[in-house]
Amino acid sequence: MAEIKYLSEHYSKPEFKTLDGYKKHGGYEQLARALKMEPQKIIDEVKASGLRGRGGAGFATGVKWGFLPNNGEPRYLLCNADESEPGTFKDRLMMERAPHQLIEGMLISAFAIKSKKAYIYIRGEYMGPAAILEKAIAEAKAAGLIGKNILGSGFDCDLDLYLGAGAYICGEETGMISSLEGLKGQPKLKPPFPAVQGYLRKPTIVNNVETLAAVVPIIRDGAAGYRKYGTEKSAGTKLFSISGNVNKPGTYEVPLGYKLMDLINIECGGLKPGRKLKAVVPGGSSAPVITAEECEKATLDYECLAQMGTMLGSGAIIVIDDSNCMVDVLSTISHFYHHESCGQCTPCREGTGWMERIIHGIVHGHGNEGDLDLLIKIADNMKGRTICALSDAAALPVLSFVTKFRSEFEYFIREKKSQVRGGQIYAQLHH
Amino acid sequence: MVTITINGKEVEVPEGSTIIEAFYQNKQDIAHYCWHPGLSIAGVCRLCMVEIEGNPRLQIACNTQVMPGMKVNNQSAKVKDAVKWGLDFHLINHPLDCPICDQAGECGLQDQYMKYGQYDSEMGEGKVKKHKVVDLGPRVVLDSERCILCSRCVRFTDEVSKTNELGIFNRGDRAEVGTFDGKPLNNNYSQNVVDICPVGALTSKDFRFRQRVWFLKDAETICTGCSTGCSVKVYHNKEGLFRVKPVYNPAVNGHWMCDQGRDVYKFVNKDARLLDAKVVSGGKTEHMQATELAKRLGTTLKGAGKSVALVLTGAYTVEEYDAILNYFKSEVQTSNVYHWINNPENFDTFDGLLLRGDRNPNTKGLAEALSKNGFNGTWKELTDGISTGSIKTVVVAGPENIALFPDLKAKVSELARAAKLIWLGAAKSADLEALTGDVALLPTKSYVEKSGTFVNHAGLRQTVKRVTTIVPGALSLTEAVAAMKGEDVLAQPKQQAGVASPTVGAGRVNNEFTLTRGVW
Repeated sequence: MAEIKYLSEHYSKPEFKTLDGYKKHGGYEQLARALKMEPQKIIDEVKASGLRGRGGAGFATGVKWGFLPNNGEPRYLLCNADESEPGTFKDRLMMERAPHQLIEGMLISAFAIKSKKAYIYIRGEYMGPAAILEKAIAEAKAAGLIGKNILGSGFDCDLDLYLGAGAYICGEETGMISSLEGLKGQPKLKPPFPAVQGYLRKPTIVNNVETLAAVVPIIRDGAAGYRKYGTEKSAGTKLFSISGNVNKPGTYEVPLGYKLMDLINIECGGLKPGRKLKAVVPGGSSAPVITAEECEKATLDYECLAQMGTMLGSGAIIVIDDSNCMVDVLSTISHFYHHESCGQCTPCREGTGWMERIIHGIVHGHGNEGDLDLLIKIADNMKGRTICALSDAAALPVLSFVTKFRSEFEYFIREKKSQVRGGQIYAQLHH
Repeated sequence: MVTITINGKEVEVPEGSTIIEAFYQNKQDIAHYCWHPGLSIAGVCRLCMVEIEGNPRLQIACNTQVMPGMKVNNQSAKVKDAVKWGLDFHLINHPLDCPICDQAGECGLQDQYMKYGQYDSEMGEGKVKKHKVVDLGPRVVLDSERCILCSRCVRFTDEVSKTNELGIFNRGDRAEVGTFDGKPLNNNYSQNVVDICPVGALTSKDFRFRQRVWFLKDAETICTGCSTGCSVKVYHNKEGLFRVKPVYNPAVNGHWMCDQGRDVYKFVNKDARLLDAKVVSGGKTEHMQATELAKRLGTTLKGAGKSVALVLTGAYTVEEYDAILNYFKSEVQTSNVYHWINNPENFDTFDGLLLRGDRNPNTKGLAEALSKNGFNGTWKELTDGISTGSIKTVVVAGPENIALFPDLKAKVSELARAAKLIWLGAAKSADLEALTGDVALLPTKSYVEKSGTFVNHAGLRQTVKRVTTIVPGALSLTEAVAAMKGEDVLAQPKQQAGVASPTVGAGRVNNEFTLTRGVW
């Protein structure tokens, strides 16, 4: 098995991002088909396909759609395009190369869940993709694909783009809803869940870019066709963004269940000459790191990685070779989560800063005996203690790095210098 | 009702209650900061952790509803450890400035640390420093570094005052409460944010550094600032009253009170009070005890009939009105009784939350008493009577808080046209002091110095009990009447056998953070 172009079949064709080009390759045919189907049939098909949320949580998409209450209230469909976890950039490719695929997937999904208003919430820094999407939305509106009586079906749906101001936490679905409502981007308490009370306190479905785009081939090929790829519990293909110490970093589409080492060695051209694999962060910087030995057994599906105590997450694979100091890497990750904590829940607000200061101290040769155990205690007490998962996202790397690479941390504390880079000063990315 | 088990004890709670409400309803301790029963649920302090049987993860009690048969506990080692860590997270960047913090002695962080903490901090790193003494508006100051970002104050301005001045700015441990540009915290309910601040981050400019709370006694009474009649607690010592705070009363004020009501205490203290009785006559001034003056007045008023008029304001208790009206009806034998209505043009206004245009605590009680006695004289009849000379003596039971009587000066000169003016009142007034005719001034007790009943705008009868004595010689109207009748009156009540005087800090057992704390 190798890389497969299923979702991304036409991504290399420049015309694919225009309406005409997209239509040339069968664009909006599935929307026309879907509009002739019963909405429930679409939901059933998505359920049967086994499609799981590609934003990180991996929750079954069709099941999520089924949570909407039938209370006659307006429903909203929100596309989560706030791609902001370090290492994650696969949705960017999709938005840049196939904006109409996303729009088509959203319109089909909106029809399925009976929503007449959809938004794409995109990260503020994604100015390029935002401009491409803006243009695509305008084209679709002009062509009558968005708006009133779409394709003469009687279905009305408006779709707009919303640029966030750039906060990691606005990628959390309730934080995103707060931001879209014009409030400070902070997650909301659950329950109530967005499906019951979301945007403007109305039933709302939040799905990731890749998830919504995948609805198009599901309608085209049916659930069975989609299930030709992947494993039983992790169906379909997935886009993976790979960064770090590989020869060909980038975005690759492979079936779920694909071997991690094959992706690194075959698609990504392996590591730099003379370098050894040290570790991989498999699902974005919040996913617990796995060692080179664990990587040998890892397959890219939700179950295998969960069994290893980590997660597939958004499919952002960060490859770390033996030229890297794990203390430095964790310092960068911890700085990020400290910077991005919204400050709402106390354990996260205070814990992220506390952990960063300890790790920062180690990196600068001021580490103390007991720092590592304290880090583990802090992280343990941040985990699962907050409204959203940012606290976990900050805690899990600390726990996994310190546990799996403890000797490197101990060396740093004892010798006041890095075991890998020696006494060279770590070029801090932050003050 | 739903039956659940809290720490091994079966209890019944209303369906739809949250777990934290169930704890409170059953007087069980539970740590918390951000939860407040009068505000929406924020769920951010993460202290109200509980263990629910069958659920592997700890849950927050404030956002979890009770379910039939639910077994909840917050006494397990797991919960205690979580709360301890929760406290540590709160404390790592908190300044250790209890000795100079105005909230010392009634600080939720201090209290909860004593209850759930008491451990060595594991924080070895430098603290994040935030702003000190931030002027939020005319009445409130923020010490940001003490703030634990519970968001109660922000939610208050969003949900209760609906003025939205406050927000939390910045992120992570750089986050701070602040006001939006050009919009100071300046609404008539602003000091409620001080009350609900669980630490000493928000303090009242009026109270800051004036007293340590443990040097104050407290007692419950009714606010007399308007006809709403909010339940309040006044804090006092031998120097006088220092502050007023609301007491939860679902029938009247909920959890809140207005800032104007908080100022009422200022008119009770000595420097605003008429301290002794005096008679001005024939260019001479004579000072005396209030009881002596009342006795002397009684001899001239008895049987004087319709040459005497009585003017009443809405500041007195039902019992006082009964006493004085009965006296004027049966002993003075006059029906010339008049109601002095201040600010009539705003009398029926309401700000939509608590404050009413009728700035008297007992207008309704006065109206009832006048009606019961058949007194229905109009102000015109009074002024006509003074003009024609048929009314020779005017007896006024005047306002306590003269700031709320913008027509005071005009009324004083209007009434002073009578041959003799007898003024019973609590407030010191330059207009009264300046009178040179035949005038008698008799100091009356303020609302915290007497017991009695007030009837609020809705007809709700609420009783108050004496809290303290500010002006020892002052009399209630009831006592003044008794003296006028020739009875001996002890103006400053002595301690009655078997009745305990208010104990220092006794009221603070009701502090939401010190539910089971003993009386000091």
